[in-house]
Amino acid sequence: LLFQYSILFKQEHAHDDAIWTAAWGKSEADGTETIITGSLDDMVKVWKWSDEKLELQWTLEGHQLGVVSVDISHNGAIAASSSLDAHIRLWDLESGKQIKSMDAGPVDAWSVAFSPDSKHIATGSHHGKVNIFGVESGKKEYSLDTRGKFILSIAYSPDGKYLASGAIDGIINIFDIATGKLLHTLEGHAMPIRSLTFSPDSQLLVTASDDGYIKIYDVQHANLAGTLSGHGSWVLNVAFSPDNTHFVSSSSDKSVKVWDAGSRACINTFFDHQDQVWSVKYNSNGSKIISAGDDRAIHIYDCPM
Amino acid sequence: MASFGWKRKAGEKVSKSMVQHFVAETEKAEEEGSNQDEDVDWLQVTKKRREVLLEDCGAQSRRLKDEGAQLAEQGRHWEAIKKWDEAIHLTPDNPVLYEMKSQVLSILQEVFPAVEAAEMAQKLRPLWWEGWQTLGRAQLNLGEVDLAVRSFQVAIHLCPSEQSLWQDDLAWARTLQKQHLATKEKMQQEEEARKQILSAPELEEDFDFESDEVLAACEAIAERQTKYEELKKTSVVIDADGNVKNLVAGEGTSASPLPPSKEQFIKVRGL
Repeated sequence: LLFQYSILFKQEHAHDDAIWTAAWGKSEADGTETIITGSLDDMVKVWKWSDEKLELQWTLEGHQLGVVSVDISHNGAIAASSSLDAHIRLWDLESGKQIKSMDAGPVDAWSVAFSPDSKHIATGSHHGKVNIFGVESGKKEYSLDTRGKFILSIAYSPDGKYLASGAIDGIINIFDIATGKLLHTLEGHAMPIRSLTFSPDSQLLVTASDDGYIKIYDVQHANLAGTLSGHGSWVLNVAFSPDNTHFVSSSSDKSVKVWDAGSRACINTFFDHQDQVWSVKYNSNGSKIISAGDDRAIHIYDCPM
Repeated sequence: MASFGWKRKAGEKVSKSMVQHFVAETEKAEEEGSNQDEDVDWLQVTKKRREVLLEDCGAQSRRLKDEGAQLAEQGRHWEAIKKWDEAIHLTPDNPVLYEMKSQVLSILQEVFPAVEAAEMAQKLRPLWWEGWQTLGRAQLNLGEVDLAVRSFQVAIHLCPSEQSLWQDDLAWARTLQKQHLATKEKMQQEEEARKQILSAPELEEDFDFESDEVLAACEAIAERQTKYEELKKTSVVIDADGNVKNLVAGEGTSASPLPPSKEQFIKVRGL
């Protein structure tokens, strides 16, 4: 019997303004699932996902302007958030306390992403540099230079070998982390790349752009493996499923789409949001999807396993 | 088949040649029609006609938009708005017209209509950062600093590489926001000080008029009064770096920060 995609839970009015970013993590210590959201209302909220519902655990105050990006460390203990106030903040998820606040300098904090070992945080910058901050030190440790334009999106490959960045002019750069060398520059899209994601086996890179297309690249050879259309407007976010065969995208056309990476077909569309959907993520085993956006709502969907 | 009413309605005032021409045309059309397939898609035909009409409106609207832009460049702001209003009448869904109108209304100090026009542009094209920028600027002119800060943030979120949004718009709006906050705090302090003079806690209990307590209380009130006067004399000033200071009035010349340059305030939207 086929188990269907369906909406499982809605948290209306989760923030006082548009939700721009969300992340889903799992605690290594006790197995609890945590969702964090960042909003134009300057707040970062920490939610516990248990018994198929969300429960607000912390409201993290500190950012002076809208929160652009959040991520959770791979052991589920620390959250990172970046804001238009040019600060990256680290939070202890158990106590809800701020651990560090790093001044990234003017316009030098956009997307934040934990490295697979969670020792570093990468963030894009205005001048096309990817800055790598130490989680322990709270300082900028080194940077990778794309020699390009404003970097909107960042992703580490799960095997820790590569870092990919997407720029506002549509250029994708892939770095070798060990050597810091720029491996590939892909002229994939003609418009801003708001999100990119590696497959769990680190073989594929999926990119989302304002041109309305999603592209799939074979990382090793930097070949374009497919161009997917289906969204009626900007594609704002993409995330790969831990099952390595599906990924999900969200768009300013208010929809959330689930795709099969093999056949490159859209296998489900959720039309439950009232406005642009800025963020979409899978949980750790791929059984759920979270989405959030301008309508201030958080949605959780069930995925067939 | 030949039941068209226009022949009878044509009457005597219509010149005969015109009528003949019309009759000929109609007959030709009827002949062509009968030659064609029986089931003509009339829905498509009217649709096509509407498209032709729309195209016409579009072209006219574009011409009016350009004329308006030229007038605005020459400083003939009201005339520009008139042109754009005509264009809006033809193409009410074009956000660019509202956005340009908002910019010019701001120049004319028509602050509220400027916000309305910018809101319309933003609703019609929510992903257009320039629409949000213009809305933020109009809101700032109206004194809605918090709303302006929000609009500029949305604009930046859509297009973070646009330096003017960070350096001029958001930075300036936040400076004003700080100023508002500091002024509000100072007013609260003043209010608090005034209350303490009017209802001094020392005078609330019963006391002996000859005792030292009265003297002490009077001294305390006098001290508060001078403090209050001092508070009233100071004013909240923000320096160029956005630092908030309390300055005694008269001390130093007006250190109010200059607004960001307005040189490229009116931009012709080529979209």
